[in-house]
Amino acid sequence: MKATYILLALASGAFAQTPVLARITPAALAKIQQNNPIANLPKSQDASAKVERPAEQSIIKQSMILHDGTNWTIVPKGAVIFLPEALKNRVDVKPVGTLLPWSEFLSKNFGWITTNEVTFDQAAGNIALPAARVAFWAKQDKIVVAVHQNGPISVNVAKAPQTITQR
Amino acid sequence: MKSISLLLALSSLHALAGTATYVNFVRQNQQGTNVVWDMPVAPKGAAPSALTIDTAGSLFQLWTIEQSSSNKDYLLDQKVVGAYLPKADIKITTLDPNGLYPRTRVDKPFTVDINVSGLMTGTGLPDASTKVLLEQHIQAYATGQTSLEPSIVQSNTPLTTGYLTTNGKSVLQFPASSLKAADPTKARGEEHFVIHALPDGTITQTQIASAYVLVYPVASGSISGIIAGTEYRHQLPTVQLNLNDLYPRSSTKFMLYEGSQYNGVTGTLLKAFAWDDPKLTTSLIISSDELSTRVTKDGTYTVALMSETVYGTELLCPPVTFSVKRTLSVNAMQVNFSDGSN
Repeated sequence: MKATYILLALASGAFAQTPVLARITPAALAKIQQNNPIANLPKSQDASAKVERPAEQSIIKQSMILHDGTNWTIVPKGAVIFLPEALKNRVDVKPVGTLLPWSEFLSKNFGWITTNEVTFDQAAGNIALPAARVAFWAKQDKIVVAVHQNGPISVNVAKAPQTITQR
Repeated sequence: MKSISLLLALSSLHALAGTATYVNFVRQNQQGTNVVWDMPVAPKGAAPSALTIDTAGSLFQLWTIEQSSSNKDYLLDQKVVGAYLPKADIKITTLDPNGLYPRTRVDKPFTVDINVSGLMTGTGLPDASTKVLLEQHIQAYATGQTSLEPSIVQSNTPLTTGYLTTNGKSVLQFPASSLKAADPTKARGEEHFVIHALPDGTITQTQIASAYVLVYPVASGSISGIIAGTEYRHQLPTVQLNLNDLYPRSSTKFMLYEGSQYNGVTGTLLKAFAWDDPKLTTSLIISSDELSTRVTKDGTYTVALMSETVYGTELLCPPVTFSVKRTLSVNAMQVNFSDGSN
């Protein structure tokens, strides 16, 4: 952000002034601050309204980190639905390097990441993922990330038997 | 069930002052199923949610992560939307049309427009369907601070609260900011307005709308080196001007007037200082030695330090009136020493 100073020492010049107002005093301001319109709204009968305010949160702590040695990204916890043993060192490591949006990170790492489109009912665990698809994952030696319309999504394991190795 | 359009204004994130780069995420949390989905987002624009809105509500969060060794993440905004939750929008309007975010000066009025829909009327209805809670949060900046993380401000105990019980537009006119300080004219910080739904505790967040306004202090100053009421007989002194908290895009002038009036009369500009930063205030000391050359005749004079802003022209401190008397007058009486011989 660039700030510019302009200091002028004018050798001449006469100015007809617009009305010059006095600076407000602390006392005058303190008085008008008392007129808060929210004071006129209905109040709660009990002292505390039951609302949930945003406490301290961290999207990084609420996510799983994927790392390729140079770049990293995050996906919701539960979105990695298959994790080969040989690739465990690329998941949930300390984030170093350049953070990329999910789509960019995926495009650079198709060699070891693949995606599996899921429906919302599958993500919610209402419908099990197709067993044949789940069995195919193990043959690819790739991390499988559940996505919904290209966005990573967490998947609740359905009660129906399946062999998801969710992380 | 329905989908919503989630407005993304990622290009103007207040928390992102400085030169660091950031990566943004919009995360949707389904309150009933705990399914979490990261929406693919463009840097700016609107995108419809691909997920249906959960019966219990869907929480949309706008996050950004700083590209740095610390990888600090910021929750910039969040809103819970539900098929059976009321909806709300907040808009803050100030007298200053400039800036990416609504901004005001601590002593100036501003308006909060709230539009609520989805409330029901009748007897025996739960609170969640008949009213929403409005909260006003204030937080002052620490020394050197120019922005606050919304989620931190909004998680504190509010200054004031009140219920909105009717659908439609409510207009709240604040005569000034509520920010506090030992000298209230010097308060600086932010005011956040948040609307919460009042569900039965089954969801983790209840915020359905929020907005905030940046609050700047009132500029002040002092004129030193020249003393009010003094009659100067020799060269006029160099004057030192102390300027504090000059408003963004302001023009400060040190003016000279003949006589003791400064309003409605024509003055002479001795010194001018333009502060054109769009966001920050500034303080500085400058000196002016123009008085000695601009005052050429005896008389009474007034110097005034004033600042022109979007709010008008205002004095930064009391004007100083003084007089100049350089003419040497000799009082003598001629005496005729005539000897009377003629």
